[in-house]
Amino acid sequence: MSQHQCIAAQHDWSRRQVLGALAGGAVTGTVGLANLLEPAIAEEIRKQQRQVLFIWLDGGMSQLESWDPKPNTEFGGPFRAIPTSVPGVHFSELVPETAKRMDKLAVIRTMSTKDENHSTGVPRVQRGDPKNRGVTYPFLGSALAKLRPPENNLPPYVWIKPGRGGFIWQDAGFLGAKYGALALGEGKPPVHIHRSKSISDETDDARQQLRRNINSRYRQRRRSSDIDAYESSYDMALQLMQRRDLFDDSLLSPKDVERYGTHPLGRHLLQARRLLEAGVQFVKVNSYHWDTHGDNFNMHLDLVPQIDRPFAAIIDDLGERGMLDNVLVVLMSEFGRTPKINSRVGRDHWPEAWSLVLAGCGIKRGVVVGKTTPNGAWCDADEYDIGHLFHTVFHCLGIDAAETEYLNNGQPLPIAHDDCRPIREVMA
Amino acid sequence: MRPVSTVLLAMTACLPASLWAQSLHEVIDREIERQAAVPLSPKCDDATFMRRVYLDLAGRIPASDEVRQFLADEEAQKREKLIDRLLAGDDYPRRMQEFLAATLLERRTDTKVPDPQWERYLRRSIAENKPWNQLVGELLFTEPATDKQPQPPEKFLLVSGREDMHQKTQDVARLLLGRDIMCSQCHDHPTVEDYKQADYFGLFTYLQETSDKAFAEFESVFVPGKNSTGPRLPGGTVIDIPKFEKGQEAEAEKYRPRLLLAGDLPTAENPLFKRNAANRFWCVMMGRGLVHPLDLHHRGNPPSHPELLDALADEFAESGFDVKHLLSEIALSDAYQRSSQLPEGVDESDAPIASYRAAIPKPLTAEQMAWAVMQATGNLPALLAVPAPAKSEFSYNNYINGRIDEAPDNLADAMTLFVGVFSNPPGEPEVEFNAAVGHSLFLMNEPLILDWLKPQSGNLVDLLTKIDDPAAIAEALYLSVLTRLPSQEERAEVEQHLQRFQSRRTEALGELAWALIASAEFRSNH
Repeated sequence: MSQHQCIAAQHDWSRRQVLGALAGGAVTGTVGLANLLEPAIAEEIRKQQRQVLFIWLDGGMSQLESWDPKPNTEFGGPFRAIPTSVPGVHFSELVPETAKRMDKLAVIRTMSTKDENHSTGVPRVQRGDPKNRGVTYPFLGSALAKLRPPENNLPPYVWIKPGRGGFIWQDAGFLGAKYGALALGEGKPPVHIHRSKSISDETDDARQQLRRNINSRYRQRRRSSDIDAYESSYDMALQLMQRRDLFDDSLLSPKDVERYGTHPLGRHLLQARRLLEAGVQFVKVNSYHWDTHGDNFNMHLDLVPQIDRPFAAIIDDLGERGMLDNVLVVLMSEFGRTPKINSRVGRDHWPEAWSLVLAGCGIKRGVVVGKTTPNGAWCDADEYDIGHLFHTVFHCLGIDAAETEYLNNGQPLPIAHDDCRPIREVMA
Repeated sequence: MRPVSTVLLAMTACLPASLWAQSLHEVIDREIERQAAVPLSPKCDDATFMRRVYLDLAGRIPASDEVRQFLADEEAQKREKLIDRLLAGDDYPRRMQEFLAATLLERRTDTKVPDPQWERYLRRSIAENKPWNQLVGELLFTEPATDKQPQPPEKFLLVSGREDMHQKTQDVARLLLGRDIMCSQCHDHPTVEDYKQADYFGLFTYLQETSDKAFAEFESVFVPGKNSTGPRLPGGTVIDIPKFEKGQEAEAEKYRPRLLLAGDLPTAENPLFKRNAANRFWCVMMGRGLVHPLDLHHRGNPPSHPELLDALADEFAESGFDVKHLLSEIALSDAYQRSSQLPEGVDESDAPIASYRAAIPKPLTAEQMAWAVMQATGNLPALLAVPAPAKSEFSYNNYINGRIDEAPDNLADAMTLFVGVFSNPPGEPEVEFNAAVGHSLFLMNEPLILDWLKPQSGNLVDLLTKIDDPAAIAEALYLSVLTRLPSQEERAEVEQHLQRFQSRRTEALGELAWALIASAEFRSNH
């Protein structure tokens, strides 16, 4: 690892003062509707439920070494461009597997986000940069937990990340702690998900039944909302415990492990697939250290395949399972990297013109939106900011950002930047 | 009974004659009943009252013996006597200190004043019933010690961040004046007419350390043009701070703005201060502020019971900001002692929560939950018997993440664990019920909890294993955990469960206790 590389993960820890609080998830107060219905209908509802896979490469992946190659130009670097499965569209040779799936993807090459600073970049981008409203906006996963409470008892926002897990309330911003993220450190489940060996299924059923009986007696002539909330926190806990299999690595097929890769990003994307299959509404997968201020090309040679292979694998798997119609996939960084190669053979932060990848629910397949100047430095078409991306995401999930707003202590607040609009060119 | 309060005598000029000569708890009931549709819920039974007032004034649930005694007591004034006893008791200062850690500090920390020092200071102040205005004055300004070490009360402002004057301004406004004026840092509040940028900077200036900084210039991001202000309380006038020359340092010291604020803010003449304080003490007892949310006092969000808030605030001030008196009067009211069950035949929608038509259940705080679980399971004596380590190695994060295997064996560490699990994150007020999945997973699967439900010398399950009669078991169980007697149905349920699992009776007893602890009834102060 280059000595010039920022350790973005360290920034991240101190920035968010992550408390390794015990897993807690939002309680939506809704009854597990899908559980009450006939299995076939429940399955249908599950299919209609829209989900998000949000892949965050903390730092910046170089657009030139991935989705917007400029070989044989001033800033192009040493790597070749290769054709993709869409005629006329080329990617860097570092992403051969993803290139073969371009016909399922949309690439935006004119992201322009005006902020090159790590310390503001991560929250600014993931909160959708809704101007300075004097309040802290929720991260996307928390926003959806509020705007689209899922109709199952699974935690609405799960964050798979290296390092420590816990309940990351900070992500919820002004929505309040309960919309925070349930973070799975290293993809592992919350500690208390495991029932003591001393308690059998029969015992657990018996004690839960006693608890429900007591609650139903207590409920008589009392306001129901707090009791409902408390009951559903147990339902969610039991649901998570029942789905311990989701975290049992021995159940994975060796073939999948091989396809996704054994590095953290590979394992975490495979974990994400399992959670999406189970019906979790929003899964975020984090990878750190995408910050190549020095030795950019060797580092990309090492880093990019770590996303290329598992990303291609999960696109295949979601496609095979018929899930690409309801799962929206976002693959992005905080910014791109400078076209200019610095004296340490590195590329620095470059928010002026960079690329990201979308796929799935509501997204056109096989399109490239926007283009950059021949040297890759600037946008040469309509520029899109984070606000546009958020409008697009909300639109794809069936939320009308023009009609929907938050109410914070009586203050109405837009859910996405009100000067922006959805990016029509990527919308199916 | 308290004699007619002087404040009410003073107020009679502007109040209906019917309020004449009423003590505060009678005013409370008059005002609640005047606005509420009938019928109101009747008084709760003795056991419910006892649990409620123990949790509110002692921060714990009563022990079985205490419950039995209270239920058997035929004295007509036993509720009044219990209130007096708890306010005079040893638990009260601890309970109030725990309450203030969650409300004044909002569980934010600062290491310059170590927690034990701050806790000692608060408990001592509360034990001597230090007037609230005096306590708040000390929080706002206490002369530093000669060795420059911060004094315990300084913790209040230190948790805002040592140099962050804006955070301090916002904290003082929100916590001591009931105004969330964050928006007004950059402009007049867009939707709250009363929250002006000029008020924000008046307070900002008042918090400065030296007299030469007692002036601020500011500009709205919406309206061009420079504005300025000296120290000023919202709605008040700018105080005059002279200019000092070199050599007048001693004189200038007397005009340190924050020193002046400590004298000017917590006063009977400052309606924002006394109304905010009265509203917050009302809320901790009643489950909801008369002004709610607690930090949105302004004309667009009037109190649900305006005359009542005035009466509470005025009497609080007139009594010399006597906290015990205020809490006692609230506890004496029928409104406080009402059942949390809605009146027979009345639908939820016909009894808005702000009507106080039925008592409002309050979620147990993290500390109340800890005391209640330890008391209910009978493990408190064993935990108390282990001396607290001088410097504990226990950390919630490390324990939860498997870096410490040893479960807490003493009260302090057990408290740390419960606060880690059940409290809101630092800076998040704890007013509404937050039912997180982490809480339920903890109660279901934490080894320490399961361990407490195994028979160990003298704990609840140990005692239950020594009783044969299922009816007696049910009674001991319910008295210890829910601090009430079981109904017929509940006795039958206990008997059935024991019968069904007779081959493993000890575990079955643990399950019965677990179910009560995990219930919504236990989780709430109802």
